[in-house]
Amino acid sequence: MRVAGRSAALRRLGVMALPLAILPLLAAADAPTGGNPGTRAFVITNIFFVGGADAGTCSPMSVSALETFRESLSPEEQARYPQPQKRNELSRLMDERLGFRRMLLSGTDAGGRLRIAQFPPDIPRGTQLTPDQALRVAALNGFPKGRGRLAFSNRTIAYSACSNPEDFPQLARGHRLYEGRTAEGMDLDGKRDRSDFVGPAGQTGIDNQLWRAIGCTKAFRDASASAERERTFLSARAPTLIRIEGIDDPRNDPDVTVTISAAADPIVQDGRNQAVEWASYADDADRRLTATTHGRIVDGVLTTDPVDVRLNYKEQILDSPRDLRAARLRLELKPDGKAEGGFYGYYTLDSFYLSIEQMTQDGANASGVSCPGVRQAIDRLADGYRDSRTGKYTAISSALRFYATPAFTTGVAARADAAGQAGGGR
Amino acid sequence: MKRRPLSMAVAGIAAALAALLPAATGHSEGAAAPDGSVRRLTEAQYRRTIADVFGSDIRVVGRFEPDLRVDGLLAVGTSAISVTPGGFDQYEEIARGIATQVTDADHRERLVGCAPGPQDADGRTCAGRFFDRVGPLLFRRPLSPAERTGYVDVTLTAARTLGGFDAGLAASLAGMLSSPHYLFRMEAPGADGRLDAYARASRLSFFLWNAPPDQALLDAARGGALSSDAGIAAQVDRLMASPRFVDGMRAFFTDFLLLDDMDGLAKDSLIYPQFNSSIGEMLKEQTLRTLTDLLVTHRGDYRNVFTTRRMAMRRELGPIYTIPLAGTDWTMYEFPDGDPRGGLLTHAGLLALHSHPGRTSPTLRGKAVREALMCQKIPAPPANVSFAVVQDVNNPTLKTTRARLQAHLDDDECASCHRKTDPIGLGLENFDGVGRFRLTEHGERIDASGTFDGLAFSDANTLGRLFHDSSKVASCVVRSTWRYAYGRNPVGDDEQAIEAFDAGFARNGYRMVDLMRAIAIANAADPKPRAARRTVALTSGRSPS
Repeated sequence: MRVAGRSAALRRLGVMALPLAILPLLAAADAPTGGNPGTRAFVITNIFFVGGADAGTCSPMSVSALETFRESLSPEEQARYPQPQKRNELSRLMDERLGFRRMLLSGTDAGGRLRIAQFPPDIPRGTQLTPDQALRVAALNGFPKGRGRLAFSNRTIAYSACSNPEDFPQLARGHRLYEGRTAEGMDLDGKRDRSDFVGPAGQTGIDNQLWRAIGCTKAFRDASASAERERTFLSARAPTLIRIEGIDDPRNDPDVTVTISAAADPIVQDGRNQAVEWASYADDADRRLTATTHGRIVDGVLTTDPVDVRLNYKEQILDSPRDLRAARLRLELKPDGKAEGGFYGYYTLDSFYLSIEQMTQDGANASGVSCPGVRQAIDRLADGYRDSRTGKYTAISSALRFYATPAFTTGVAARADAAGQAGGGR
Repeated sequence: MKRRPLSMAVAGIAAALAALLPAATGHSEGAAAPDGSVRRLTEAQYRRTIADVFGSDIRVVGRFEPDLRVDGLLAVGTSAISVTPGGFDQYEEIARGIATQVTDADHRERLVGCAPGPQDADGRTCAGRFFDRVGPLLFRRPLSPAERTGYVDVTLTAARTLGGFDAGLAASLAGMLSSPHYLFRMEAPGADGRLDAYARASRLSFFLWNAPPDQALLDAARGGALSSDAGIAAQVDRLMASPRFVDGMRAFFTDFLLLDDMDGLAKDSLIYPQFNSSIGEMLKEQTLRTLTDLLVTHRGDYRNVFTTRRMAMRRELGPIYTIPLAGTDWTMYEFPDGDPRGGLLTHAGLLALHSHPGRTSPTLRGKAVREALMCQKIPAPPANVSFAVVQDVNNPTLKTTRARLQAHLDDDECASCHRKTDPIGLGLENFDGVGRFRLTEHGERIDASGTFDGLAFSDANTLGRLFHDSSKVASCVVRSTWRYAYGRNPVGDDEQAIEAFDAGFARNGYRMVDLMRAIAIANAADPKPRAARRTVALTSGRSPS
C-alpha cells in the first residue's frame, strides 16, 4: 500500500537516512517516525490579543454599557439596583427604557421569557435568515425600522446596543482607550507616526491600534494576562493549523511555504486537558479558511510575507471568523517541538465587531464590555485599508499571539476521509 | 422477580453435576481424571451464545467469575476451573436478567412467539415449543425427554406461583441458563466410548468461531455427518469460510497474547497523558486486526507477524505512532522501509501492556515474549529482591533503563533469570511505556542491541527478523494452538501429534489457517474425550431439595 502524499524517495529514506539538517528538528520530538521530513505542522491551542499594560494606564477601566446606563439613573434608582446583585433586574430596566427587543426565531427559551417572532408568509419558519430577511422579520414584529440583527447563534433576533451600537452613543461614555506608550505588535506600515507604540524590547513603529481601542476593557485584558492565556484554549472546536513546507534546514531556511488553515476537527486533548502532540487534523473544506504564503526561518524563527487570512473563531455562541488583511506570521520554533508566535495584521472592523456583537447584550453586560464604546473606538482608531468611496479605514492594526502544538495535517477533510491514509506534515 | 421459583428451578444442580462429573465436586485437586471432559464457557463465549440465541439487543449484565490462565492460556484454564458459590450467584443473577428481557413486552413476540390460549390453557404447548427451540442451542445438544418435561413443568409451576405464564417461563429459562449443561461444555462419552457428535460440533465451533454450534452444525451432528473425517472436514471448511472464523482467530490470539489484560490497562497520566482506556482498547483492536488481516484475509505466513510493516491504524492512534492519519475508521497503514516500526514486537499495545504504569520494563517485556511467543517458563522473582536501583528512573548516573538493569544484574541471583528476559526487552527500549518511539532516555542515546539465541540484533526490527526465523517461535504457536483447541496440556502421545502438526506447519508455509484447519479436524475426530483436573470446588451453594 502506498503512502499517499509522500514521495517514494522520502519513503525509502526513513528516519535513519534523513538529511543531517533535519536531525535537530527530529530530536525535539525524540524522533517521530511519520510525516514528510521537510514539513512541520502545528495546531494553535491558545490565541489571544496582546498589547501592553503600562503602569497608570486604564485607571479607571472601561465599564459596560449597563454600568453607564446605571450611572444615568437618579441616585434613588441607582440605590434600588445595587451591582452586581441586581444586575439582571437592571438589565431588564435598561431593555425597557431603551427599547431593546429580543425574540426567538423558533422553539422556546428555557426561562420562557422570550416570545416567538412572526414570519412573513414568503419566509418559511426554520429558514436560515439572511441579514435582509432578518430585517423583514424584525419589522413585522415591531422592531424599529431597519433595526435588528440575528444573535445568539442565529437563534434570536435582537435590537440592542450591541446589534445597533450607532443608536446608543450615550452608552459609550464609560469606554476607555489604552493610552500607554508600549505595546506588543509589529511595524506593519513601515512608517513612524504618533499612533505607534514602542515594543517591550524597545522596537519602534509598532502598529497595534486595536489594543489602544480595547486594551482597557477587562475581558480582553484578562484574556491577555499570562496566567489566563496559558490556561485557556480558544476556538478549541475549530482550531487553526499552520503547515510549513519545503524545510531544508529547520534553523535557517531562506524560503519555505506556509499554509494557514482552519481545522475540520476539534483539538485532541489528553487527560490533563492539554493538546495531544502529533494528532492528525484535516483542513476545513471551506477554502476561504485557507491561505498560503512564503516565509523564511532565521535562527529558528519563521516570519512570513503578508497574506490575507481568515481564522476561525468559534467559541460557545460565537462564530465570527477573524479576517486579517496583510497578516504576517511570526513563529518561534521551540526546542521541545512546540511553537509560539503571533499574527500581526489589519483586523477588518466588520469581522472584529461581529465577535463583539455576537456576545449579545447580556454577554457584553456580564463581560464589562460596552458595544457602542468598542464600535466607536475601532471606527475612530482604524488605520488600514481605506475605502476609496467613503474615505474611511476598514481595518485596524492588531496583534494576536498564540501557543501551538506539533501536529499532522492530512489534507482537506472530505478528500482525506476517502483516502484513509495521508502523508501529512510533521 | 422473586427468588423462590428460581430456587426451585435450579434446585438439584449440584446434585446433577455430581452425577455427571464425579471428579468435579468437592476439592478434587489430584483426583483421578474422569472419563469425560468439562470446560467452562468463557465470558466471551457466554455472551456470544446469548447474542446468537436471543439477539444482540439482549443485555448481559453482571460480573463473571474470573477465568484462570494455566501455562499461559485461559483456554486450558477452562478445563481446570469450576464455579464457586459466589460465582454461581453471579451466574444466576445474569441468567435472571436475560430471562426477564426475553419474556418482556419488547421481546416476547419475537423470542417466545406464543402464549396460553383457548387451545393451550396453561401454556404447556407454548412452553414446550419454546424449549424445543432454545434448549438445543443453549445446551448444544437436544434436550432429553426428561429435561424437556422438567423445564416445561417448572414453567407451569412457577407460573401458578408467580401469577403469570411469562414470569413462569422466565424462571424456567433462568434455571436453564444457570444449568451446568449450559455453563459447561460437557463431553460425556457415548455408548461406544467415543466422543459423541454434539461434543464434536462444540469442539469445532468453539475453536473456529469461539461460539456455540449453529443450527447447521447441530443438524450435521444429528444426521451423523460428524462421524466421518470427510464429514468433519466439510463442516470445518464451512466454518472457516464464514466471516465468523475471524472471531475464532481473534479469540485465539486474544488468549495467546494475553490481550484480555489490556482491558482496564492504566498508565500514569502525568507521564503518559496521551494514553487512556479508550486508546488501550484501540491498541488491543489494532493488534487483532493486524493479525487477522495478515493471517486470515491474506492467508499469510505466521512468521511474517514479526516483520510485517502493515499495521491496522486509526486516527486516534496517530499520536502514539507519530504518524499522520486521516479518516474516522480503521485502515491498514504501511510503515516505510527503514522505519523503526515493524512486526508484532513493535505494536504499542503489547509494549504498553508489558510495561509499568510510568516506565518501561525490559524484564516484563522479555518475560512476556519468552512465555507467550516461545512457550518458555520464566520463574517469578524471589520475594526479597530489591528493585530500588531499577525503579530509580531519575538516577543522575544511570540514565537509561539498560544502565539501571545492569546495576541490578550485579547480583548473581537476579542475573540468572534476567539473562533470559532482559536482552529481548532491552531490544525494545526504543519504545516507551506506551509504545511511542524514542531515541534517547534522559538525554542519553538508547542502545537497543543484544543477542537472541546466540544471534546479534541491533534494534527491534532486527530482533523481529530473528523471531521470524526462529523455529522455537513457530513451534510455540503450533503448541499453543493445539492446547487452545483441546483445552488442556498434552499428555502421552499428544506430543507426537504436536510434532506432526509442527512439521506440517513448516511444510505448508506456516499458514495459520491451515494449522487451525488441521487441528480442528483432528480435535473433532479425537476418538475419546479426556479431562483436565478440576482445581476449584463446584457447588451451587444450595442444598438439593
